[in-house]
Amino acid sequence: MILYVLIYLVIIVGVVGAVISKKLLNSAIMLAIASIGISLLLFGYSAPWAAVFELSVCAGLITVLFISAVSLVKNEEDTTKEKQIKYSIFPLIMSAVVILSSIFIPEYFEKLSSYANTTQNGNELKIGDIIWSIRGIDVIAQIMLLAGGVFAIKHIFSYVKKQEE
Amino acid sequence: MQNIYFPLDWFFITLIFFSGAYCMIVSKNIIKLLIGFEIISKASIIAIITSGYLISNINLAQSIIIVMILVEAVVIATGLALVVKSYRINKTIDITKLSNMKG
Repeated sequence: MILYVLIYLVIIVGVVGAVISKKLLNSAIMLAIASIGISLLLFGYSAPWAAVFELSVCAGLITVLFISAVSLVKNEEDTTKEKQIKYSIFPLIMSAVVILSSIFIPEYFEKLSSYANTTQNGNELKIGDIIWSIRGIDVIAQIMLLAGGVFAIKHIFSYVKKQEE
Repeated sequence: MQNIYFPLDWFFITLIFFSGAYCMIVSKNIIKLLIGFEIISKASIIAIITSGYLISNINLAQSIIIVMILVEAVVIATGLALVVKSYRINKTIDITKLSNMKG
């Protein structure tokens, strides 16, 4: 229990640091710290595959992407004004959501547990079986999404190159 | 089962979600907006794994999270490519000045 709260504190520190930090580079690094905390949490919930994906993609790849983008658009920090006082109602909404959800959500999930049942003869299915047989359509969607992203990025940069010529 | 701890989880999930939403609403910097999006998706990842643990169906939650992480990576990569292009054309990464992007 204490370990979980400590991991959550690491995540909260990373997230709040990423939000309030003025420098974009610091924001990206704090986001990586939050990602590492989330991957530890996933390991704690005995979800090693998701934890490894989170650690390698979110804490690794996305941080590298953010840092390279920040280095390409340098000297752009603190140029935009922020209206922070206007949104001070956020904590009130948040506390209302917390109180209401802590009352209603557990009952809802108990009701939901009968629908999302992927057990077979009393044993839970392996993650490979779930990915390839039950949610096989997701794999096709992932491939299409990756292809779409690659084509979008290729088109964006080829257009810039043509314009520079 | 983790029924007793679930409200505590939910409190942290809501805190992370609202931090991301605040970041997305307040900031005009596109990279900050993408960071806010990333934070919101992290909150949803924790929500999915917590609910999967609660209904003792952790492998289904893992498969959904893997798909979600991939979607997140593609969206961030495309968004950052757009940021770099916008910076080369407009010399700014202010979201209010993106109206010049045509073609």
